[in-house]
Amino acid sequence: MEFKFSAKEETLRQDIRGFVKEELPPDWIGLGLAEESRDEDWELAMSIAKKLSLRGWLTMAWPREYGGQGASLWQQLVYNEEVGYWGIPGTMMGVSGVTWVGPSLMLFGNEEQKRKYLPLIASGEPDGVWCTGYSEPDAGSDFANIKCRAVKEGDEYVINGQKIWTSCAHRARWCWLAVRTGFNVAKKHHGISLFIVDMKSRGITVRPLISYSGHHIFNQVFFDGVRVPASNLVGEEGRGWYYLMQALAHERGGTVPINVGTCRRLLDELVKYVKGTQHGGKQLSQNPMIRHKLADRAIEVETLRMFAYETTWKMSQGAAVVWEPSRDKAFGSQVMERIAITGTEILGAYSQLDPDARWARIKGVIQNMYLLFPGFSIAAGTDDIERNIIGQFGLGLPRSY
Amino acid sequence: MDFSLSERQEMLRAAAAGFLAKECPKNKVRELEQDDKGYDPSLWHKMAKEMGWMGLALPEEYGGAGGDLMELTILMEQMGKNIVPGPFFSTVVLCALPILQYGTDEQKNRFLPKIANGEQIWSMALTEVSGACDISGTELRASLERESYFLTGTKFFVPYAHVADEFLVVGRTSGAKEGISIFVVDSRSPGIKVEVIRTMARDKLCLVTFDDVKVPRQSIIGKVNRGREPVNFVLQRAIVLKCAEVLGACEAVIQLTNTYVKSRVQFDRPIGSFQAVQHRMVDRFIDIEGLRYLVYKAAWELSNGSPSNLHISMAKVKATEVYQRTCIDCIKNHGAIGFTADQDIGLYYRRVKAAEFFLGDADFHRERIAVELGL
Repeated sequence: MEFKFSAKEETLRQDIRGFVKEELPPDWIGLGLAEESRDEDWELAMSIAKKLSLRGWLTMAWPREYGGQGASLWQQLVYNEEVGYWGIPGTMMGVSGVTWVGPSLMLFGNEEQKRKYLPLIASGEPDGVWCTGYSEPDAGSDFANIKCRAVKEGDEYVINGQKIWTSCAHRARWCWLAVRTGFNVAKKHHGISLFIVDMKSRGITVRPLISYSGHHIFNQVFFDGVRVPASNLVGEEGRGWYYLMQALAHERGGTVPINVGTCRRLLDELVKYVKGTQHGGKQLSQNPMIRHKLADRAIEVETLRMFAYETTWKMSQGAAVVWEPSRDKAFGSQVMERIAITGTEILGAYSQLDPDARWARIKGVIQNMYLLFPGFSIAAGTDDIERNIIGQFGLGLPRSY
Repeated sequence: MDFSLSERQEMLRAAAAGFLAKECPKNKVRELEQDDKGYDPSLWHKMAKEMGWMGLALPEEYGGAGGDLMELTILMEQMGKNIVPGPFFSTVVLCALPILQYGTDEQKNRFLPKIANGEQIWSMALTEVSGACDISGTELRASLERESYFLTGTKFFVPYAHVADEFLVVGRTSGAKEGISIFVVDSRSPGIKVEVIRTMARDKLCLVTFDDVKVPRQSIIGKVNRGREPVNFVLQRAIVLKCAEVLGACEAVIQLTNTYVKSRVQFDRPIGSFQAVQHRMVDRFIDIEGLRYLVYKAAWELSNGSPSNLHISMAKVKATEVYQRTCIDCIKNHGAIGFTADQDIGLYYRRVKAAEFFLGDADFHRERIAVELGL
């Protein structure tokens, strides 16, 4: 056992902090920023993405030939923790490409696809931005129920159907799309395939779905006779479900270190706030209820951090992580929820103020997190779906659904 | 970062698991709950001689195995899993560790080999009727007259005092707030009265009264009026090792409940296939996973000379909460049979409060965390 980072990893941490000082406004917090929503935020995100790419950080764990640095999983984890802590924009470019399309293409794509798409993502350019077409109106948690179909005609596939909750589709150049290609199959998990689709193709319509926070994150995407070259099929036809399960593990595993960083920052900000705020002539930090709540949040954040480290360690040993990312994600959304709620309780009536309101506290990040956390417990597998996975594969219990 | 056990640690874990499964089955635990001594001398001697556990973390020159705190952590986890009744914790953790750290050569040579070979049982008399786990509750007076101290006061919640050969007694040697010293006291000294208090864990917590008990001046461990440091030293280690014991207990509880919900059939299906039951299992499983890594990290830091009071207190709050929730939810998952004496789960449930209020409860440690956070 050893619970410390190597000198190389600590140096990277310092380098990223230097980058934050140089490239971001001095009072930047940026936690819970829905950067794909407003044009000015997206512009900033993409300009930072380019800078991260030039430093070789954007896709640091990828092999050099595809635009990475061959960094270790631990360097990647340190980077993600810092990204979360400082709220560095542009690190995910709409999430999909950097986090799971790239890693999945490396596992299942052919050489031509790797050479074409990976360097584009790694460049931090608008042409490297992806969205992901998984969910449909009748295929949410029961994701194998997808109906959007692709039928082969000559050396093309013709795609018809609808996707929903498609984050960043309005900014994306490419779509990582799951469709049905097999129709008379024994199980609905069979006959699913993955495609790379150019979002500029004829027949694609993107319609915004505005979230209750007022942000434009999601979209509905309609495919009406969209023609895609057969060479855009990823891996083998009909094996999509297997690829997707791997991609989802990446998605769950990849975002947890970022959440660790975000939660640690929120905790630090709340500690600073209660030390600098008086109520009735007494510092908030002297209130025993507040002290104990923050102590509990600190325990949860530390626990989440250990989960992220343990999962990364297992992956670094070459182990296939099956239920661990689900553990981290389910627990992580709980941690996020509790710290957001504690934040609102500490800020009291001020927690309602919009980030740009004159009296807003801690730059409105508590409001951001409060509005966002229910989304964390749903995206990439709801808390209940994660519990099903942990029950089945972590505890060996019978399938419960 | 490395989460793996070393070969030596893995061997210790496997040996402890195998030995305890064979030598300390639950019917023995139940027997010892009714036994006046509360421990099995033959098991005690096997643990000392065959397994070398009393000296596991003591240097070879005192008859020990030269292990470290991480190994003791791994052993305590296995002991917690099996519930091993007896004065191991009080002898080794509460007494041998501070003697090794703060004792003179003469004291170490005199006491440690007897602990290592299982000859002596020790206990620490720290807490008093206030229930405080640190020196803030210390009122027992020790007054110096010529070459002897005279101890007068009452200690409460002293584990296995009724079978101890020697005590470490925390007493007040000056009126100053910090004027605390630690004494080695022979349990047969005149003026000592020991009363076993019945607790729900049947774990032999004692009330010990000291009435003008005479001890030689050189019985102090460490420096006079400087007892705070060795007490903190003991607390840091004892908390982490108690948490390791709780971790083992929680692992055992979820494991036995897992077996039960897989085999118990209702509505023609194992009840573990129902989400209400399964998700409750999963929530506790996640809790235990978290507890494990908080304990290992705090233990590793201690073992490597960089103790963190923040992480130690985090482990204690987590252990307290997780132990209780795990037992309660797992009893619920058993249904009515979980309420019966012949199921093992009740043995664990009856030990929750013993762990909770030993060495500082959750609120005590939340406050310490708040201080460490800068509040």
